[in-house]
Amino acid sequence: MAFVRTQKEIRQRAPIWLVTLLVANLIIMAVDARDADGRQKILRVWTQTFASPIQNASSKATGATSGFFQQIWNFRSTARENEQLRERLTQVETELHTAQQAAAENERLKSLLSLNEQSDIKKVPARVIARDPSVWFNTITINRGSSSGIAVNMPVVTASGIVGRIITVSPWASQVMLITDEKAGAGAVVGQLGQSGALGSIRGRADLGAALIEMRYVSGLEKVENGDYVMTTGQDGIYPPGLNIGRVVDVKSGTATSAHQILIQPGAQLDHLEEVAVLLYRPPPKAVPEQSPQSAERTRR
Amino acid sequence: MSHIKIAVVLSVAIVLQLLLREVWRPLAYIDFPLVVVVYIALQRDAWKALVVGTLAGLIIDAGSGGLVGAGGFSKTLTAYVIYFAATRVNLENPLLRIPVLAAASLLDSAIYVFWHRVLGYPPAVPFVQTMSYKLIATTVVGTLALYLLDAIVAERSAQRRQFANRRRVARRATGPLRRR
Repeated sequence: MAFVRTQKEIRQRAPIWLVTLLVANLIIMAVDARDADGRQKILRVWTQTFASPIQNASSKATGATSGFFQQIWNFRSTARENEQLRERLTQVETELHTAQQAAAENERLKSLLSLNEQSDIKKVPARVIARDPSVWFNTITINRGSSSGIAVNMPVVTASGIVGRIITVSPWASQVMLITDEKAGAGAVVGQLGQSGALGSIRGRADLGAALIEMRYVSGLEKVENGDYVMTTGQDGIYPPGLNIGRVVDVKSGTATSAHQILIQPGAQLDHLEEVAVLLYRPPPKAVPEQSPQSAERTRR
Repeated sequence: MSHIKIAVVLSVAIVLQLLLREVWRPLAYIDFPLVVVVYIALQRDAWKALVVGTLAGLIIDAGSGGLVGAGGFSKTLTAYVIYFAATRVNLENPLLRIPVLAAASLLDSAIYVFWHRVLGYPPAVPFVQTMSYKLIATTVVGTLALYLLDAIVAERSAQRRQFANRRRVARRATGPLRRR
């Protein structure tokens, strides 16, 4: 005989069920929050391990469907575009010739300066398989994980700029925190590293949304203008130096005692990410300062 | 509402929540799992409402950059508040469901963001703006979704359809008798 609860029983027991479930959720939340940044979040790794095959399949299905409709839409404008492309091709061929000359010159100069190229860092190409289902955060999930050599805090980039850093890694998927997040940050410089003194750090701001990031602590004495490029400095221990972050779109000039207020538009199109690359980059270990005889004596004691 | 029906409806809601953002970002403001939680809470089944609230919240949390458990907590509490209201006030009227959905969306967002702020994980988007968009989108789409759920899966509407069929059959059967 099936056990059927009466309405009265359900009404009496509902508060007990409620408290039990709320406490369970609270414990899960506390465990997840306890895992500080930079450490693997065990709960998330487990959930991601199970969720990634579904996300992968659904991403492919969505891509195929939207691709089909996109093709139909594109067909209408193909003839007009074809004509425009022919004209552009002639123009680009001329530009290519000039660019090839510049590239050759660049190579020669690089070898002269014996600069290390960024391509020395191994890259793992990855596809974005999911975006944050809640509207409150802006993370993305990619289809590469620890089986591809990815680890927590590795930088994620596109050809046009940095995207963010890895915050969770499961065997076949990873979660990426975008640079527009309030908890994301990076050491940055306006202009070229080594040439500019406009050093600071970038950080996302909730009121700016996903479109802009803020750059702080740039001395008010440094010259910063709209349109200037912002690059990574490598001092944050996550991103290698010299990667493009974006361009300055707004500057409220500071003074000798106050910093500039700078807003940056990220170079990577964070709303339309499809393919990214994870840099298998480990920052060089920080040099331990030599101990003075006095402090060494204190340590010994 | 049977367990299988609930599982199917909840799965569809979660899949929609995961996929629609890829299609067009503003569609993420519609909280489909919350609509399902509200619907089940309105059926006055506390156990199902609470469990569905917790499950829906935890599954969405798993794919999100927020804290795992925050969505579970907010949806469970929201489910209970609506269940509590539904057992004391008659919320059967479709028009009354509009403020219920709006209140559910407001409560869910407020609790979710509260826990994130308390535990040092501030959301990446402006609170009032996002909450307002979410409230509008979830209320508008949720009202239609509740109507759809009522028409398709509710046992009461299935019973109504069954009775209508029986009446039709009975009328056909008794027709020649009356003539006699």
